[in-house]
Amino acid sequence: MNTGNAFLGIDVGSISTKAVIIDEGNAILAQEYIWTEGNPIGAVKKLLGLLEKQLDRETWQIVGVGATGSARRLVGSIVGATVVKNEITAHAVGTTTFHPDVRTILEIGGQDSKIILVENGIAVDYAMNTLCAAGTGAFLSSQARRLGIEVEEMGQYALQSAHPTMIAARCTVFAESDLVHKIQMGHPREDIIAGVCRAVASNYINNVGKGKKICSPVVFQGGVSKNIGVVRAFEDLLRCPVIVDENGHLMGAMGAAILARRSLKRTHFDFSVENMEFVTRERNCGGCSNNCEIICVYRNGTLIDFWGNRCEKGALRADKA
Amino acid sequence: MKQQRKAALPRYGEYNCALKYIVEQGFETRCILPPPLSRHTEDLGARNSPDLVCTPFKTTLGSMIEALEAGADTIIMVHGACRLNYFGELQEQILRDMGYTFDFVNLSLYNTGKKKDILRALKVINPHCSMVKAGKALYEAAQMVEHLDDTTAMYYQNCGFDPSGTYPKIYRKFISDMYAAQSLADIREGYRSACHAFADVTLHKPADPIRIGIIGDYYTVMDPFSNLEIEQKLADMGVEVHRLMNITNDMLRSGEKNKQAKIREFSEYNMGASSTTDIWQAQNFAERGFDGLVQVKSACCMPETDIMPVLANLSRDYAIPVLYLTYDTQTNDVGLMTRLEAFYDMLEMRKKVTP
Repeated sequence: MNTGNAFLGIDVGSISTKAVIIDEGNAILAQEYIWTEGNPIGAVKKLLGLLEKQLDRETWQIVGVGATGSARRLVGSIVGATVVKNEITAHAVGTTTFHPDVRTILEIGGQDSKIILVENGIAVDYAMNTLCAAGTGAFLSSQARRLGIEVEEMGQYALQSAHPTMIAARCTVFAESDLVHKIQMGHPREDIIAGVCRAVASNYINNVGKGKKICSPVVFQGGVSKNIGVVRAFEDLLRCPVIVDENGHLMGAMGAAILARRSLKRTHFDFSVENMEFVTRERNCGGCSNNCEIICVYRNGTLIDFWGNRCEKGALRADKA
Repeated sequence: MKQQRKAALPRYGEYNCALKYIVEQGFETRCILPPPLSRHTEDLGARNSPDLVCTPFKTTLGSMIEALEAGADTIIMVHGACRLNYFGELQEQILRDMGYTFDFVNLSLYNTGKKKDILRALKVINPHCSMVKAGKALYEAAQMVEHLDDTTAMYYQNCGFDPSGTYPKIYRKFISDMYAAQSLADIREGYRSACHAFADVTLHKPADPIRIGIIGDYYTVMDPFSNLEIEQKLADMGVEVHRLMNITNDMLRSGEKNKQAKIREFSEYNMGASSTTDIWQAQNFAERGFDGLVQVKSACCMPETDIMPVLANLSRDYAIPVLYLTYDTQTNDVGLMTRLEAFYDMLEMRKKVTP
């Protein structure tokens, strides 16, 4: 039996968890996208179960695992990742592999949004939202709930509108009160929805994209890129076509898998993780007035990793835990 | 007889060694060193400060409270070029409202531009001391600050390339030597032995390492606790970290003249506090071919917020990436690490294709 090398990439975000398995030529062998539902460990286990069914284990052996997303550290230690990378680098690597000529990557996820500028296939500048989640997927979800529709339907509603309502986009709290006011004034629902989509796009360009020169080709990804209303709003505001890759939501996971392929570290990954029990516990170090919160991860009762300590004092304490 | 006075200044990076030297050697007064800054300090400060004031106000207030709790009966507060001038007055009021009894020496009230007036103000803490002695201590403390800044610069430029791990030990030894120094000879000896020890370490530095220039507001950029040890974090990734913003360059050495004229292309007028210096430093780093710039600022710092568009122009003209960081009383550095790692990855990939 001929076994080929395969690489697993996992992207655990605040809202959704994504994973892909690719071969040496970046072709997708298996892919999955599920909700994190506030339980990154559970989500990863479930995800691996789904991937196992898709992958032909006779032909492929996973030799590299990359983890990214906000839970990368935790998930990385659970699955024994060979590469743990931040989501900005992972997205840049993933996207430039599939769109070598891209100049600007717009990314809007559940809790964060970022812009990556690319020249000659290399990221040259980036920015990420700070302190505030205005104009992210979380804002769209909460507004969809207020309007009584599913967040997935927002895009279609928005397309029906000819006169999007102007909605103050600077801050989520103000946007929401402005939106309520406009609803009570009698603006039609599709105009309101189109206005919300436009607010997300203009908020993004004014905050994250401030001072950045946005050049075409533009690739838009992250969960919000599935909303056609926001895509149209970006096209109107930027006056250029906006490319949405059908695998756009997987780009972080793709980047992680590609980075695992490029790294020289190799592992022998089987899907046994699914059946192991993982527990995390928070401990306060108490070694000094910093009172570092140390997170300890246990696999079947044994400590496998810990982090959060600022000095060696905390390391000793975690060992004793 | 009145009990001897116990004076204290809030924590400010490692500069407290020089401040302690002035109080102890110059004014022959006991100096209470507040505990190192911690989450507890920030909690104390933030709880008792106006919400939208900048973070250094909260941190220094917290440090003053800790000093008073540690037994200080006199608090000294410095002045500066921005809201810092009003810090002392407000902090004194807050501390009195909290019920503390103490003497407060607010140097901002004596900020006449003449060094003599500052000395006269400080004389309050010990009216019997000799002005000559105080002046001498001030001069020697200035030497200490110069040595401290030189050593710190040397440390962060090289510690990322020392696999043996001796650099941090040498630096910590130097800092504790400075706190213990009683004379100019002690100061010079401490500096000399640190220099020698640094020179003995074999560094594994590539010919063309990644170099990052750090700029930012006067307190946050110089205080490792307030900026979540950004210099150490970058150095640990294998970066040569440069920071021109320190007391030596800004106050003791005459330094670069006519900075405003030199940055006219980017900014015609001074926007207050550290703005002109910061823009000039950014330009200086860019002209020297640095790989990236990091702006470190406290939330609600007006001058630093104002220079952001200027830095964006500079970033475009010199093709140098800038990472903008805003610090509040945050305790978690996960978000910071994500941004720093990504910044480093980007600079590294850039360097590979554009030599």
